[in-house]
Formats: sequence, C-alpha cells, structure tokens
Amino acid sequence: MSSSPSTHAGSRWTPESLLPISAWMVLLLAVASSFAVALWPSRPTSGRVMWTFAKPLFERYVPIIDRWNQSSTPKVDLRMLGLVPLERRMLASFMSGTPSADLIEVERRVAARAFAGPVDSVGFLDLTEEMRKRGLLEILNPPSLSPWTSRGRIFGLPHDVHPVMLGYRADLVEAAGIDVSQIHTWDDLARVMAPLMADKDGDGQPDRYLINMWDNHEDHLELLLLQAGGAYFDENERPVIDSPQNAHVLAKVVSWCHGPDRIAADAPDFMASGNKLKADGYVVCTFMPDWMCDVWKHELPSLAGKIKLMPLPAWSPTGRRTSVWGGTMLGIPRTAARSQADVDELMTFAEHLYISLDLARELYRAGGIITPVRPHWSDPVFDEPDPYFCGQSPGRMYINMAPHVPPRTASPYNVFAKMRVMDALVKLSAEAKQTKTWDLAALEAIAIRHLRSAQRQVEAQLDSNVFLRKDGAGG
Amino acid sequence: MNISRRFAPWILLAPFLATFAVFFVYPVFQSLLLACRQTFGNTASAWVGLDNFSRLAVDPMFWKAVANTFVFTLGSVFIQLPLALLLAILLQSPGIRGRGFYRLALFSPAMVGIPFSATMFAVIFEKRTGVLNQVLHRVVGFDLDYSWLQEHVMWALIVAALWMYTGFNMVFFSAALQNVRRDVAEAAIIDGAGPWNRFLHVTLPAIRPVAGFVVLLSVIGSFQLFELPWLMLNSTAGPDNRGLTVVMYLYQVGFETGNLGHASAVGWVLTVILAALAAVQRWSARGEEMGT
Repeated sequence: MSSSPSTHAGSRWTPESLLPISAWMVLLLAVASSFAVALWPSRPTSGRVMWTFAKPLFERYVPIIDRWNQSSTPKVDLRMLGLVPLERRMLASFMSGTPSADLIEVERRVAARAFAGPVDSVGFLDLTEEMRKRGLLEILNPPSLSPWTSRGRIFGLPHDVHPVMLGYRADLVEAAGIDVSQIHTWDDLARVMAPLMADKDGDGQPDRYLINMWDNHEDHLELLLLQAGGAYFDENERPVIDSPQNAHVLAKVVSWCHGPDRIAADAPDFMASGNKLKADGYVVCTFMPDWMCDVWKHELPSLAGKIKLMPLPAWSPTGRRTSVWGGTMLGIPRTAARSQADVDELMTFAEHLYISLDLARELYRAGGIITPVRPHWSDPVFDEPDPYFCGQSPGRMYINMAPHVPPRTASPYNVFAKMRVMDALVKLSAEAKQTKTWDLAALEAIAIRHLRSAQRQVEAQLDSNVFLRKDGAGG
Repeated sequence: MNISRRFAPWILLAPFLATFAVFFVYPVFQSLLLACRQTFGNTASAWVGLDNFSRLAVDPMFWKAVANTFVFTLGSVFIQLPLALLLAILLQSPGIRGRGFYRLALFSPAMVGIPFSATMFAVIFEKRTGVLNQVLHRVVGFDLDYSWLQEHVMWALIVAALWMYTGFNMVFFSAALQNVRRDVAEAAIIDGAGPWNRFLHVTLPAIRPVAGFVVLLSVIGSFQLFELPWLMLNSTAGPDNRGLTVVMYLYQVGFETGNLGHASAVGWVLTVILAALAAVQRWSARGEEMGT
C-alpha cells in the first residue's frame, strides 16, 4: 500500500510550515510598503536647492532664477516651505549636521535661534570675509546687517531694510484742517491731532483715537524702544533692559493706552476686526513698515487715496524719525559649503539674486519693499507716485529713512527678553490703573522697578548658561 | 515545525518590539540623559547633572506655569465634569424627545478640533469687535475695550475648554449611566429616597469607576494643555504669563531659548506628576473593586 504525498505532513513544504499565515501577511505588508516608499515619485533635484518661506518672495524669485538657470551655473531649484516647517527642518539639520538646502531664506526670529551657541557651531556659514572680499559691505545699508550679525560675524545677506513710517488717514486729518508738518515729536502728535478725538456722537467716548497700538503688542513696543535708543541687549549681547530710555517708552505707552491722556486704540493688523476699525476711521495713525504698504493695498482697498505717510514723530525734537520692524536674510548652511568652490558658487548666486537691480525693482513694485543695496536707491522706480498714498512716492520716503534705521542685535535670548519687557509693561499698566497713577515721572519710576525685575530674569538666564560663562557673551 | 511555532510569536512581535525600542525606550532613555545636560545652539552640550531640576525649583516662571495649569485643571474637574454628568443625567431622563440630536449637538464641539475652537473663542473674546463685548455693551452698556484675554486669561481658556470637552465627557457618563441598576433605583424610590439621595447612594457608586477614569483623563489632558492657549493668545503666554502652562513653558525653554536639557527636565517633572496622579487613581479604583 502506497500513500499519497499529501498524507506525509512532514515531507511537503508549505508556507505555513515555516511561518503562520498572519506572519506572512505582516512580512508582505512590510515589503510592499517599503517598495511603495522607495518607488514613490519624488521631485528630482537639479543643482542647488534654495528654500524660501513667503509666497510673494517665491513669485518674485521664480523669473529671476529661471533666467539665471538658462545662462549660468549652478542651476538653482527654488522651493517654498511654510515658515514653521522651514524652521523645523533647518534647525533639525543644523543639530544633526545633515544636509538641508544649499541656501535658506529666513526671517529674523528664526535666524536668531540659528545663531545660538558658540560661533563655530552656528549652522550658517560666516559670510563676513566673503562679503568684504566682494565689496558688499560697502554697498549694503549698515544697520540692515545688524540682525544677521552675531559676535561680530555676519551670517546672512540682508534682503531688506524695513524702515517704519507713520501712515495716517489724510482724508480725516485734512478735513479737520490739521497740518502734519507741525508734528515733530510724539507730544506734538497728541497736541496737533487732538481735535480728531472729539466725541461728536455723544456716547461719552472719543469717536476715534490717534494711534493704532496697545500695551500687549510686542512688535509695536520693540519698534518704539529702538526708535527711542532703547534696546534689549547692547552690541556685546549683554542685557540693557532697565535703561531710562526703555522706562520712558513704557511709561509713555501706558499713558497713551490708559488714563486721561489716552490717545491709542487697538485695531489689530492682519485681522478682519482690525481692518474694519481702520476702514471706519477708528484709528488715525498706524505704524507702517515698507512691507505693510502692500498689505494695506490688498486688505484695505477702500482706503486708496485716503492714506498718507509721514516720518515717525521723534521722542525728542532732534530724535530719530524712523524705526524698524521685521527682516529677512539669505544664508548658506555650513553643510552646503564643503569647499571654497562651493562657497564661491553659492555666494555668486546669492549676490546675483539679492543684489540685482531687477529684484530691487520687482520687490518694490510688487511688495513695496525697499532694497538694502544703496547704489540702487537712486533708481527712478522709487520715485514713482502711488495713488494709494495720495500720489506720494513711498519708495523715496522710505529710502530717506533707511540710513537712520536703528541697529538690532541677534541674541538668541531676544524673544525671552522681549517677553520679559512685555511682562514689565503689563505690570506697569495694571499698577497705573489700580493706583490711578498717570504722571509720567511717577510712571517711569514704576517702569524702572519692573524693568529691573525683567533685567534680573534675563541675566539669570544668561548666567545659568554654562557656555556663556566659559567664553563671554554668546560663547 | 516546532521550532517555527516556537519563534512565530517573536517574529510576529518583532515589528512592534523594534518600533517600541527605537521610538519609545531609546528616546525615553535619551531624554533622561538630556535632562542632565545643558544645550545651547545647534551642537553645544554640557553635562550639568541635576542643575536643570534644581533650577526649576527656584524658577518663578515654572511655578507660575504650574499654578496656571492647576487652575485650569481645577476648572476642568470641578466645572466641566459636573456639567457633563448633569447633561448626561438630563438626557437620560425619560420623556426627552430628540435625545440623539442633543447628544450629537453637545458632542460635536469635540469633533471640530482645537485650532478652530481656539480661533473662534479668540474672536468671541476680542475687545470692541468681539461677540461677547458687543452683546454685553448692547445689553448693559459694558466697556467695549475690556480685554478678556488680557484680564481673565485662565477663565477664558476654561470657558473655551468647557465648550470643547463637556459633550465629550458627557458621552462617557452616558455610557456609565447604563450600568445603574434599575431594580436598585426602584427599590430606593420605594424606600422613599429623593432624587438627591438616589443620585448620591445609587447612581454615583455605580458610575464611580468611569468617573474616576474621566477625572484622570481630564487631569492628564489639562496638564498637557498647549495648543488652546497658544492659539488663543497669538503664540504667546499672554500678558505677564497669565496663560503660561507647563507644556508651554517646556516649549519656550526648549525651542525659543534653545535649552533642550532644561526642557527635558520639565518634561520629566510633568511625567512624575502625571504618574503620581495615575497611581492615585489606580489605588482608589482598587479600593472600590475590593469594596464591591
């Protein structure tokens, strides 16, 4: 009697004899998903990769880079990432030492984080010597280099200047017969424009306020501090928070926002609610960096022909008439520059993109942003009258302000210091409201007390940093 | 055959074990080491032992974050959960028409996501143009410029969380109420127990295990609070850190001032707090089980 092979369980090989069917399924899924990931079509990279974070900038760069790619090397592949993913990927790459893009465009807040740590561990290449060699230091607006300078080394090419002027409702101001040429200081503004705060509707409140700001707006406070000669850090990146200039600005801001001399109201930027208040004329004057002009044109088209620009009123009769808000740079990650040839190649492209007259014109026409390249300032494009601003030439007005923009520091503790100063301002406001203290000298005394507390907190942060203890500020 | 059968469980478990080891055990071990280091910038790192923990003990911002988080947690446990239970009981009572609709309506805020809710409440609490101030102004002449997000940050957050999670917790309580024995409840009525006594002596003991679980979930969720205040307060901790939570503080020290070691120490302190709370919950649940 012979038996069929199937009856000999041990002699016939089946998949189940090696592994249960469920294990085969797990393996199959693992192999299939691995292949899927490996074969998933990804965008091919050709030449060098550049990251940017803003769509308007991306759109301006595309034609310039296309022209570059047709005639020059290296070929550049421009990619747009959201600011947060860009920051995450950039910092992850810097921390791990793995390659990311060859050129990265970042804004100031993000760049300051990249500058933390000892100079030789900064993720961006030190461009100081390259810029000197190429003569860029002579042609760039000096204050525009400061946000990208840490411990005397420059880590990025400046994209902009971003001077701040005051945008005001010319229709309301001129209808009230007010002559803005009489305004030189903030006190002048409060005095000369006071008639605009009349209570014509009889509700017991002014119909409108003179300045669009509030005591919780950190950017507004920073630009006012810088304008007044105050700061969070000195040029050696040591905290100078409890300075008399800072105390004066804090006291003044509180008196603007609360109490009997109130002239400020909050119409938040980039929000429908704020835009409605602006369109309704609830606020007369708004801080306008150059980039804000384009924002207003898009978000508040109904105000075309009703807005004019003027220099910021100063803190003293001979004081600074402008400030600065925002900033962007182009940097080269260390991982992208393995040799001098790489540095030359990338710098040549960066210079072509950022220093070109084409880009300067394009950025101004499309975004209202003025270039930090001083030789381009004489270009007629900046003299073009703008109907939105009642025929004024905003470009020329901002360029006149550009050399006077206050310098800034690139301390990695900027955000921390800014928050502590904001805390001081909030405490000052609360104390002023509680004790009904509106006298400026008294407010300054309270401000100094709160700023000293802020100073101590920032110093404690710096002192606890073992790297700063070893080799001075910033390591 | 026998060998393959013997190894099969390990082969089946291997993907999980590998993933668990790489993505959980190793990071936990590394984060413990990181908590004993100070980092600055991209690559600079130095061993500081327990300095990060001792600094936390004297850091006023950390304690402010802990205090704020406790306030939010208390709001969640003592306002949100009783309200959720009350709604569950109301919807359980006989004679309610459209019960399913009400349950869906109350549960739906949990489905819309934190970014939407945070944005909506930021708009509601906006001064001058915000819905709340507009309504109060029209009804009682309230000051339009009053800033809820500046003066009452934690209350604003508690109200937003109340809207988001009360319905969510109500679902747990609704399920738990199914376990209340009708015969015991009826016996209590016959014995003359009023609604409050029935709730206290019949309903509450029956739902206590689920209530304990919901309280634990709520406490853990409250201690992990980050997105809601971060979005409502425009990526800040609010004026004078009035909206600063423990996780927000962790984020600030780790990713804004760049000291990942200090942030890791905060994470470990948070872990210990949550583990202790979970242990208390387990201990109290065990007592109940033994008592039944």
